[in-house]
Amino acid sequence: MGRIAQYYHATSLEDAFAKAKQLGPVAAYVGGGVELVLRRNPEITTLIDLSRCGLDYIAAAPEGIEIGSQTTLTTISRSADIKQYAGGSFAYWAGRIAQNNLRDMITVGGVIGRNQPWNDVVPHLVALGAQVRLFDGAERIMPLSGYIEAKQPGVIIKGVLLPAGNAGSSGFLWRFTRTQQDISTLHFSALVSFDGKVMTAANLVFAGRPGHAALYPRLSEGLVGKSLSHETFARVAEMALDLVEVGTDLRATGEFRRELVRAAIVNLEEHMTGVAQ
Amino acid sequence: MTSEVRVIMTVNGTEYHVTTQTNRTLTEVLREDLGLLGTKIGCNKGECGACTVIMNGRSVTSCLVLAVQAEGATITTIEGLAEGGKPSALEQAFVEEGAVQCGFCTPGMVMSAEALLTLNPHPSAAEIETALEGNLCRCTGYRKIVAAVQKASQSRE
Ligand SMILES: Cc1cc2nc3c(=O)[nH]c(=O)nc-3n(C[C@H](O)[C@H](O)[C@H](O)COP(=O)(O)OP(=O)(O)OC[C@H]3O[C@@H](n4cnc5c(N)ncnc54)[C@H](O)[C@@H]3O)c2cc1C
Ligand code: FES
Ligand code: FES
Repeated sequence: MGRIAQYYHATSLEDAFAKAKQLGPVAAYVGGGVELVLRRNPEITTLIDLSRCGLDYIAAAPEGIEIGSQTTLTTISRSADIKQYAGGSFAYWAGRIAQNNLRDMITVGGVIGRNQPWNDVVPHLVALGAQVRLFDGAERIMPLSGYIEAKQPGVIIKGVLLPAGNAGSSGFLWRFTRTQQDISTLHFSALVSFDGKVMTAANLVFAGRPGHAALYPRLSEGLVGKSLSHETFARVAEMALDLVEVGTDLRATGEFRRELVRAAIVNLEEHMTGVAQ
Repeated sequence: MTSEVRVIMTVNGTEYHVTTQTNRTLTEVLREDLGLLGTKIGCNKGECGACTVIMNGRSVTSCLVLAVQAEGATITTIEGLAEGGKPSALEQAFVEEGAVQCGFCTPGMVMSAEALLTLNPHPSAAEIETALEGNLCRCTGYRKIVAAVQKASQSRE
């Protein structure tokens, strides 16, 4: 059961960061604390609790919606602002991932901080174009897609920003599981904007391939400026078979995943044609 | 080397000052230090819900909460639901509806249901199922549990 010698209740971001800097790799931040690895990892001797740093908030501003990193999935699922964002897809999924008791513990900062390849939340946030507000003595903002590529130890995720301008867009997440609580074999997420029946912008993300969430700009280009027709999606599905790198792990073979890539695009087509009706 | 820390928490209306090791879970402290054996340990990793308690108004799997995380928290366990030494209406409904067989999952089920009814006194069957989705029962088949929560909801304001 790990070697946790100290549990430190930080009182501010500055306090938490100073403690982490002083201790180096033996310290880890705690969001909801659900992640057992934290406690079982013999390398970690100090946990720095962020729950008293004022990070449990959802704030709507002209530049978008900012979600404090200590906000739980349950709180996100109940937020009126997030229910209206990009067709409400993030609120919908925040209320369905994992199970009820855990959703009130799991924080958005903890989900990003851990980012297992099979994580359900990160692919959708990447598709929504989310940015992260980071704190390492000073604040800075960067795209979430960039943050997960090059995670920075010791840096605190202060919040997640959902950019403005997605009000009329449609968010979509597809996780391939047999039951709701299974770990997904493949994730596919999208944000599509459309004007009448023509798509004007798109972000397409695959994850659990088994790799981490990755954007596929060339697939997005296959949708932009095109009509919401079966031919458009069929073409993108063919492109996806070539572009999306899939591999084999304990849960599925690469060949099986390749078939799922095609199914994912078919599901997006059904979603989009339903939304546009 | 883990170290010891003093934690103050209010459990079922009583304030406790507990000295515990930093790596012990809330479940362990409730059961072993406070003698509240109603909270069960099934999987000990967040999958079964047997250890569910209400912490600061939220139902949580206490096996995933370190006792030190509960510093200053208000906690209700299954032992805290009785009213005047008698089972609460929710507990009574579990008995009357036959929602208990071996009983191992029951405290966790009841606590998840209690958290739901506090927030939403008259939930639909679907809302009850969602609230209980993290609580596994190997005996009852769940229908009688949902019926018990529905029955208890009738007596809520
Ligand atoms: C039983 C069980 C079922 C699960 N089911 C699902 C599921 O269905 N779908 C899914 O997507 N996930 C699932 N998860 C995984 C869960 O989403 C992750 O464990 C998540 O990390 C928990 O969030 P947390 O807030 O408790 O994180 P914590 O345990 O607090 O932290 C996780 C990691 O993030 C770091 N961290 C936390 N906050 C910050 C911050 N603000 N800044 C920088 N780093 C930070 C921590 O140091 C740690 O490395 C499940 C987990 C369990 C135990
Ligand atoms: S014992 Fe805590 S969820 Fe199973
Ligand atoms: S009554 Fe036996 S596990 Fe539920």
